[in-house]
Amino acid sequence: MHIDGEKGYPLFFFSKSRAWVTSTLFGLLIIVLGGALYIWYSHTSNDPTPDSIVGFGYAFAGTTFLILAAVLYTLRRRSRRRGIGQLHTALQWHICFGVVGIVLLFMHSFGNFNPRSGTFALYGMIALVISGFVGRLLDRIIPRLIADEVRKALTAKGEDRIEAISQKLEALVHHSTEEIRGFSTQMPAVQSSTTTNAPPAGERTTRSLVPLRPASSKELPFQAPGQSLHTSWDLAYISLEETPQEMSRNAAQHRFVPDKKSTLTRPGALIPGAQEHMAALENAQRALQREQFYRYVIRYWRIFHVSLALLTIGLTLWHIEYALQLLIPTLLHR
Amino acid sequence: MPKPVLLHKTGPQLVQEVRACIGCNECLYACPALAEPITIDVLNRETMDGPISAPVARFAWSCYQCGACVAPCPVGLHRDAMMMWLKVRLLRSDWEV
Repeated sequence: MHIDGEKGYPLFFFSKSRAWVTSTLFGLLIIVLGGALYIWYSHTSNDPTPDSIVGFGYAFAGTTFLILAAVLYTLRRRSRRRGIGQLHTALQWHICFGVVGIVLLFMHSFGNFNPRSGTFALYGMIALVISGFVGRLLDRIIPRLIADEVRKALTAKGEDRIEAISQKLEALVHHSTEEIRGFSTQMPAVQSSTTTNAPPAGERTTRSLVPLRPASSKELPFQAPGQSLHTSWDLAYISLEETPQEMSRNAAQHRFVPDKKSTLTRPGALIPGAQEHMAALENAQRALQREQFYRYVIRYWRIFHVSLALLTIGLTLWHIEYALQLLIPTLLHR
Repeated sequence: MPKPVLLHKTGPQLVQEVRACIGCNECLYACPALAEPITIDVLNRETMDGPISAPVARFAWSCYQCGACVAPCPVGLHRDAMMMWLKVRLLRSDWEV
C-alpha cells in the first residue's frame, strides 16, 4: 500500500478546532474573573468562608457548570438531531465546563479542607476531573498502541498473520511427513540388498511367526487365500529369523535417531524453519492479547470515569443537604 | 456488559465492509472525535487505498475507538474497525518512506 498524502502516526499531536478555541477562551475568562473576585474578596472581606455570600456564589456557579458538563454532553450524545462535528463541540464544552466547575468549587472552599461533607465532595470532583484528563491522555496513547499491535497481527497485504503462518507451518509439516514416508518406502530395497532372505515390508510384523513357509510358496489347500499358518505344529521348533523386536530395532528410521549431543536433537532440526514460524506465531498471538488488553483499558477507564461522576453527585447532594440543614435555621432566624 | 472483542479486520473483510456502506453519515454524526467536515465517500475511498488527505489523517489520529459509530449504523458496520485500518495504514507509511 503506497501513500502519497499524509504519512505517519504521531503519538502526541494537536489540532486546534474552532470548538476547542472557543471553549478554552470561555473557560479562561471565567477562571480569570473568578480568580480576580477571589483575590479581591480575600483581601477586603473579614469573612472569606464557604458560607459567605461570595462563597455561596462560587458553590452555585461551580455546581451549575458541573451539571452543565454532565447533562449537555449526555443529551447531545443521545440526541437524534446531529450534525458532523457537533458531538466533538459538545465534548470540548464538556471538558471546559468540568474544569471551570472544579476551579470555582475549589475557590468556594476558601482553603477550608476540614473533613466535612463538602471536602469529600470536593475530593470526589478533583478525582473526577483528573480521571477525565487521564482518560483523554489514554484516548491519545492507547489507540496508537492498538494500531501497532494490529500492524503486527496483519501481514503487509492485510491478511491475518496467524492464518498465514499456520498455513506455512502446515505446508512445512506436510512436506516433512511426505519426505519421511518416501524414506520408509525405500527401506525394503535397502534391506533386501543387505540381507538375502529379508521379508517384504508388508509382512514384516508376522515374518517370524511363519517360519515354515517360504515367501514364494503356494497357499496350502486347507488355508484360506492370504492366510498363513501362524504357529508350528512342532512346539520345539525355534525360528532363526529375526523377532519383531529385533526388526524394529534394526529398522532404518530408528538407526537415524541421533544421540543426545547431536545437532539433530535441537528443536526443529528435523523440520527446518518450523521454529521461526512458531516464534512468529507466538508474536502474533501476543499482539492479539495486548490489543484486547488495551481495549479493556479504554473501556474500563470510561466506566471508572462515569462511576466517579455518580459518586461525586452523591457526595455533592450529601454536602448540599448538610449545608441546607445549617443554612435554613440561620435564614429563618434573621 | 459485552466483552471488548478484537476489532481489527483483515483486508478482504474491510473491503466488504466499505462496499456495504450506504453512505448515510450516521457514524460521522455520532463521532465525538470528528472536528471538521469530511464526506463519507472520501473517508471510504481513503480508508481502502490511495493517498490520505490531511483532514482524514487528522480524523484517524483523533479517533479513540470509543465505538460510538457502531450502534447508529443501519447496516451494522464497524466504522471503528475501518478507522483502525486507516491508523495502521498511516503507521505503516512511516516504514515506506
